[in-house]
Amino acid sequence: MTTLHPDHDHEQEGEIEIRHHFDDELDEIRRGLVQMGSLVVENTRRAGEVAVENRLDLVDAVRDGDQPVNALYRILEKRTFEILALQQPVASDLRFLIAATRILYETERSGDLAVNIANRVAAQNGFPQLAEIQSLLGRLVTESTKIFTSAVEAIANLDPEIGINAEESDDVVDDITERFFGTVHAHSAEIGLESAVELSHVGRFLERIADHGVNISQNVTYVMTGTFPDEDSDHLPE
Amino acid sequence: MVNDMDEVTNTNVGLAPDAADIDLDEMIAPTGDEADDANPVIIDVEDLNVFYGDFHAVKNVSLPVRQNEITALIGPSGCGKSTVLRCFNRMNDLIETARVEGKVEYHGVDLYSKKVDPVEVRRHVGMVFQKPNPFPKSIYDNIAFGPKIAGYKDNMDDLVEETLHRAALWEEVKDKLNESAYALSGGQQQRLCIARAIATSPDVLLMDEPASALDPIATLRIEELMYELKKDYSIVIVTHNMQQAARVSDRTAFFSIEVGDGGQRTGRLVEFDHTTTIFTNPHEQETEDYITGRFG
Repeated sequence: MTTLHPDHDHEQEGEIEIRHHFDDELDEIRRGLVQMGSLVVENTRRAGEVAVENRLDLVDAVRDGDQPVNALYRILEKRTFEILALQQPVASDLRFLIAATRILYETERSGDLAVNIANRVAAQNGFPQLAEIQSLLGRLVTESTKIFTSAVEAIANLDPEIGINAEESDDVVDDITERFFGTVHAHSAEIGLESAVELSHVGRFLERIADHGVNISQNVTYVMTGTFPDEDSDHLPE
Repeated sequence: MVNDMDEVTNTNVGLAPDAADIDLDEMIAPTGDEADDANPVIIDVEDLNVFYGDFHAVKNVSLPVRQNEITALIGPSGCGKSTVLRCFNRMNDLIETARVEGKVEYHGVDLYSKKVDPVEVRRHVGMVFQKPNPFPKSIYDNIAFGPKIAGYKDNMDDLVEETLHRAALWEEVKDKLNESAYALSGGQQQRLCIARAIATSPDVLLMDEPASALDPIATLRIEELMYELKKDYSIVIVTHNMQQAARVSDRTAFFSIEVGDGGQRTGRLVEFDHTTTIFTNPHEQETEDYITGRFG
């Protein structure tokens, strides 16, 4: 199990473990973030199916799937706030809790975006099925979900490397998004302007989910190293 | 909703095995100020007033101490928090001029009833003081002393070992039980005093500034020990260190001083609530000012 303070090697055997209970509280937050992120990954995949395959039957499942994400958001935010108030965290503990509040926000927003995708498809009663568009949209779903999954793995394993390499993976998503916009635009007469606009929104939502994933991974890097991967340039979320 | 969440969680995303094993029921269960007051009241205080001669030390204090919780009493020097603590096992009886009015009930029994033997009270309500004060005896005898006087008949070695385990001290002292308690470090001496207090099987532990004479690491060890002990005991702690109250306690009582017309300084209870509430959103401005360091 990966925790912020995995061992207490400096303590003698049998001695009372200092701040063991505090460590448990921090790890509960970490596991909660992983759980929340996992739910968002699942819901993004489901929303992707709705968009790519016009699975209108899954729209309600996507909407319902966001409720536990919101519930966890409220619980974890409250717990984080309480720990900050009561435990006087410093150093890595403080960085973890501050990062947790940011990760909570990024994850919750991503959950909302998955719901937005399903809602856009539902409002159009499905999109015109065009192989070229579907293919690019499918790739966008795959790549964005991959980035978000990596972000959840970064939290699960407290792995700083994922955040360091996250921008490169995001470039792939940005490329596909640009090609997707171009393709939708090229076929706009064929599929109708309204569908073209809505499809573009869906593409943008998926690209945003990937961005949130990048921010999450970079926050984990911050927790583990004390700096953001791109601190020298511009670490502010886009 | 929980069932749905279990379903979703089970279709995991290939994460580490521990990634999604969190107990959602537990996560969603209310905490802090939302939690119900399920733990029974073990010491009930109502309208407590304490006098030392003509001096009105504490006035009109009402608060319940709940089972298996840590209740912290905080406030500036002279606010009466130690005085209140000492009412819980009749330690004020030792001061000739002290007079206690109001209700202090332990399991529904009036602690100040004439029928109640204060020595018996202290067997049920143990106490640990600011300065570690082990007897000038061996580690073993420090633990065995109380039970012997109380007529303990079973295997004393077993009791000593079990008690030291509970106080998280056994591993550190098991090879030197016959050495003087004074040979231990300050933090170990204080844990020995906690062990001595629980050796006679009380169900309440009163702690008066138990860590203020210790270094930060020894302090954190005492706090972790308190967290373990509350599974079996109810604890009331007086502390000057409000961060300590924040770290360890479930509920916090904030006391302040009221200055009378004649300049008489009387302690009073300003606010009593869940510790999370006191330290995140206290109801009284006076509490807010004290915990944020604006006065006191």
